[in-house]
Amino acid sequence: MSQAHQLDKFEAADFINRTHKPIPRSYGDALLAAAKKDERIVALTADLATPTETDIFRDELPERYHNVGIAEANMIGLASGMARAGEIPFVHTFCSFATKRCYDQITMQAAYPNLPIKIVGFLPGVATLLGVSHQAIEDVAIMRAIPNLVVLDPSGPEYHASAVDAALAHDGPVYIRLKRPETPPENDIVPKELRKGEGILAREGGDLTIIAAGLSVTEALAAADRLAADGIEASVVDMASIKPLDAGLVIDRAKATGAIVTAENHSVIGGLGSAVAEVLCDAGIGLPFKRVGLADRFAEGGSTPYLMKKYGLDSTAIIKAARDVFGKKG
Amino acid sequence: MSQADNPKRNIAELESIAAKLRLRVAEMVAPTGQGYVQQGLGSADIFTALYFAEARVDPGNPDWEDRDRVFLTTAHNTAIFYAALAERGFFETGRLSTYCEDGSPLEINASERMGRFVEATCGSLGQGLSVAVGAALAAKRQGRPTRCYVVLGDGEMQEGQVWEALMSAGAWGLDNLCVILDFNEMQCEGHMDNVVSLRPVADKLESFGFAVHDIDGNDMASILNALDAARETKGKPTFINAKTLVGKGVPALEGFMAHQLMFPPEVAENAIAVLKENLS
Repeated sequence: MSQAHQLDKFEAADFINRTHKPIPRSYGDALLAAAKKDERIVALTADLATPTETDIFRDELPERYHNVGIAEANMIGLASGMARAGEIPFVHTFCSFATKRCYDQITMQAAYPNLPIKIVGFLPGVATLLGVSHQAIEDVAIMRAIPNLVVLDPSGPEYHASAVDAALAHDGPVYIRLKRPETPPENDIVPKELRKGEGILAREGGDLTIIAAGLSVTEALAAADRLAADGIEASVVDMASIKPLDAGLVIDRAKATGAIVTAENHSVIGGLGSAVAEVLCDAGIGLPFKRVGLADRFAEGGSTPYLMKKYGLDSTAIIKAARDVFGKKG
Repeated sequence: MSQADNPKRNIAELESIAAKLRLRVAEMVAPTGQGYVQQGLGSADIFTALYFAEARVDPGNPDWEDRDRVFLTTAHNTAIFYAALAERGFFETGRLSTYCEDGSPLEINASERMGRFVEATCGSLGQGLSVAVGAALAAKRQGRPTRCYVVLGDGEMQEGQVWEALMSAGAWGLDNLCVILDFNEMQCEGHMDNVVSLRPVADKLESFGFAVHDIDGNDMASILNALDAARETKGKPTFINAKTLVGKGVPALEGFMAHQLMFPPEVAENAIAVLKENLS
């Protein structure tokens, strides 16, 4: 009947399986390693094992793993019950759902009782094709407002393992905002150290400071390189610990460089930029200051470079802000 | 209103529209591999029945206040949704080729920035049914003939909010609400029964006060019969449990459980060839 050669199911499945390019599980491997050392660790996901790198946990420690279905608010309650029984639950879904969908449950069943529940979100900020429903552009703002909760925003996969360590080192609830690489990295990932309450001075320069987090750190470093070519030396701080914030480092860089730009893959309202501004105001430091982030608006689905450029989050936007604050210095 | 009160009930014609929409789904997803091809092929008959036989909508006047409202709560199932909307005349078929391109409003998750024919932005699962219940209540209050149709995902029913909405619709006897469950049994991590099973779904819904129809969601006559029965049911909302087959129409893909199938070129070419043959 058929003119075209019809693929059979086996052939089709073979093609499909071969198109999967595995991305290293920098987070998933670290969580599994930690769980093998500490039997209190359990992992939960709301039907996103592979995108949250918990498939290896599922396969190796199935008795300590639960796919709770597409039910994020329920997942926080389950985690609370487990934590109250002495376990350390790591819960996994996309950032948008990990925070906004279960905000009340997080406040009442994780943060108020100060339980060691580690909320691990993926797809931070605008960086996804999946559009506004999946874009967590206000998660840092709302999570930062919850007492007892630590907020970590690692800048790349090299910090994912230490984010797991930092989360475990804090005896209470933690929100980690993770971005997986979209394609397999060319080189092996060399783990780097991140600690609660500590910023990382990623580049030193005396003319101004760019304080960035998450995906914006790469953009900030690229911006600093281009500024240096024009004779402007910028410090770059990777502020992986958004709460508690490294106030000492902010004040030190403010005094040393006299101008600050913040850069984040998040709304400019309530996130890293706001947190830095709070520290500066509290310390009575007035200086040229600009926030780079999503300008109080929704985005759309698209490729990450396209969105970073369109919504003014990329290195070009950071350079513009840096020139502006540098020009305003006395 | 112009066309809207003249629904088609020609099964052969509807089946040929469904076949055309299946081809469009494969063609839209093929260039990048991005899109939900399995779900689109599986639910093509439901979308065809809704947009070409049942729902009173007017492509020339998408804001028509008395229109029926079709809510796609599984907002990721866009390839078939956009194909159906374009074929129905809501926008140019040529725009389908911009699916998932940077800057195109034909995003992988449907957003209401597309136009009023996207009745709500539902990519965060479990929210759309509540909006439909609200729209059904408003239609009753305002004395409008509007019926609200919801294409609901089975995995989505794991969200608690769905049950809040179902309970309210049943308690309030909203007979202008018709929920169509696209019961393909598939979620991200595979078969639903291996995650959190929904069974027995018909019993659950009956106990919530719904008129329930268990049908083959890939059989056009069964879909139309259930929609007819829903329209005639008074004092109760309807729940159509439409069992669908993922990948329907492409033998190599039928039953292949892959929520986010990256459509490799070899498989896409084959699917397009098979679907083209089915057209003739």
